[in-house]
Amino acid sequence: MAQMWITMGPQHPMTHGLWTLRVKVDGETVVDTEAELGYIHRGVEKICEARDFTQVTPYCDRLCYVSAMTWSNSYIYAAEDLLEADVPERAEYIRLLAAELQRLASHLMWLGAFGPDIGNLTLMTWCMRDREMFLDLLQELGGSRMHYNYPRIGGVKRDIPIGFADRMIAKVKLFEKRIEEYEMMLDESTIWLVRLQGVGYANAEEMVEAGVSGPNVRAAGVNYDIRWAHPYSVYDEIDWEPAVEKPTSVKGADCYDRYRVRIEEMRQSCRMLLDAIEKIPGGKNTHYSTGDEMIYTKAPTRAPEGATGFSNYECTRGASQFYIQGGGEGRGKMPYRLSIRSPMFITIPFVAKTMIGYKVADIPAIMGSFDPCIGETDR
Amino acid sequence: MGMKITLDQNAAAVTECADAINDRFSGSGINADIIQHSNAKKYSFVRVTTPPQHWQALAKWMKFEVGVNYCSMVTGTHYPDGGDERGWEVVYHLLRQPIVNQVPDTNTVFVAEKMLGAQIPVEFEVVIDLPNNDTPSVPTVQHIWGGADWNEKETWDLVGINFEGHENMHRVLNPHDSPDGFHPLQKQHKIRYHDYNEMYDDAQGFVRKPADEGRVK
Repeated sequence: MAQMWITMGPQHPMTHGLWTLRVKVDGETVVDTEAELGYIHRGVEKICEARDFTQVTPYCDRLCYVSAMTWSNSYIYAAEDLLEADVPERAEYIRLLAAELQRLASHLMWLGAFGPDIGNLTLMTWCMRDREMFLDLLQELGGSRMHYNYPRIGGVKRDIPIGFADRMIAKVKLFEKRIEEYEMMLDESTIWLVRLQGVGYANAEEMVEAGVSGPNVRAAGVNYDIRWAHPYSVYDEIDWEPAVEKPTSVKGADCYDRYRVRIEEMRQSCRMLLDAIEKIPGGKNTHYSTGDEMIYTKAPTRAPEGATGFSNYECTRGASQFYIQGGGEGRGKMPYRLSIRSPMFITIPFVAKTMIGYKVADIPAIMGSFDPCIGETDR
Repeated sequence: MGMKITLDQNAAAVTECADAINDRFSGSGINADIIQHSNAKKYSFVRVTTPPQHWQALAKWMKFEVGVNYCSMVTGTHYPDGGDERGWEVVYHLLRQPIVNQVPDTNTVFVAEKMLGAQIPVEFEVVIDLPNNDTPSVPTVQHIWGGADWNEKETWDLVGINFEGHENMHRVLNPHDSPDGFHPLQKQHKIRYHDYNEMYDDAQGFVRKPADEGRVK
């Protein structure tokens, strides 16, 4: 049969954002693909060269509108490396709480968008309902539903409010039961299994070679996680273990494994939240005023020329990395060069190539299972 | 309970890698140092400086002898005032990750504190200084690490570093019809408020200049 190129995107439900997947098809079979990115390239790296180190944080929030807290945290760790700031332990605990709440919200957003891709519209309404609980909690911290500008170089913007701990514990405990509901609805649902099992195989070594990271690699059977391999917060002090799957084929993880690993990650995040709130130094029902030494240490604002800062952070979609070179405008008040590594920028071209050999109808399942986010991809 | 690679494990692995690189490549201008991060848990990493002509040999050797299997990030920087020897800089961030393929229905669950030798994750930073000219160029490592592929495309697109031997180089973030030689992260391209002292007409900063006056867009 004659082969032809068809274009999916930039406006297509499969894309989960704005990008184009060009697919070469032979009948129903995909024989070649090409990813085209850059539709919402905002030039954040260039903008940051004209901003103070503190002014960069809101831009990092806006890199990924689904997972703002993890991205701003990632930047903050790089800036702390550059500026040699110390962080009080209570602030590290609060950052951990914020990041894990964000991970829950982000995975729920993923599951909610993935469900309709597969043909389960109920899932979207359930996930949006539960995500709202966590957005409310994040709003209590940062004051806004999506872009929090919450972490600071040397601490956090403000302490957890009085009553936050009780509300969080209640919501997380409720959500742990909701995870079971999701599993009851999905794990043995025919439509879910038929569309996801045996589709989109990718094995561990091939993914590492291509630069894929995070839950997508853990689905292929290795519990490698930056949170213990390059530890940064207080993840060593609280109760959790990295989510990991047992792929059923030599070809590696399929879409179903990647769905399972994210469900398991949500469960681990709940476990972390419940444990961390009890262990938080200074007590869970205390509120320190803004700028108190329990939650904030004053950090230098200028970086000497030649100084560099780097952070390797387990974002919700994989390894997000920031590399900052100091000594820019205003005698080191601004970064000379700030470079952002987005996990999805590397993953999307890889996923496009893994689709070869599958049917056109499998494309939404494969693409959705890797959790694409175009905000961070295009920066 | 949570786990982590201990500082002792990290120090041992980093020292081993740095020594191996220094032993193998002594006298060729390649040098490996151990640098400590000053954030989070104060872990160390290996910073390797290499002249561009030895980069491919070093990359292959690091992949197959040290086990560096992950190229995570490529950063290009323009230093117009950096002197003759350092007009451009390319930084590769590499990781060693203990990830291998699995037999069906099994998985590998590492216990961080019990990891030994070549299993321990290590972070590498390879710094390549390029002379100050109009055609900065380094050899590509696209064929050594697949992860370098799109990172190098992005670095060429935004910074204008040529990667010799890179196949299928094209614009990825800028529009495909951007003019030749347009690379926005080069320092001659200014953005508004870049020279913030020039933002105002008067010393007190009451009268704002037209936003784009005298700017290259």
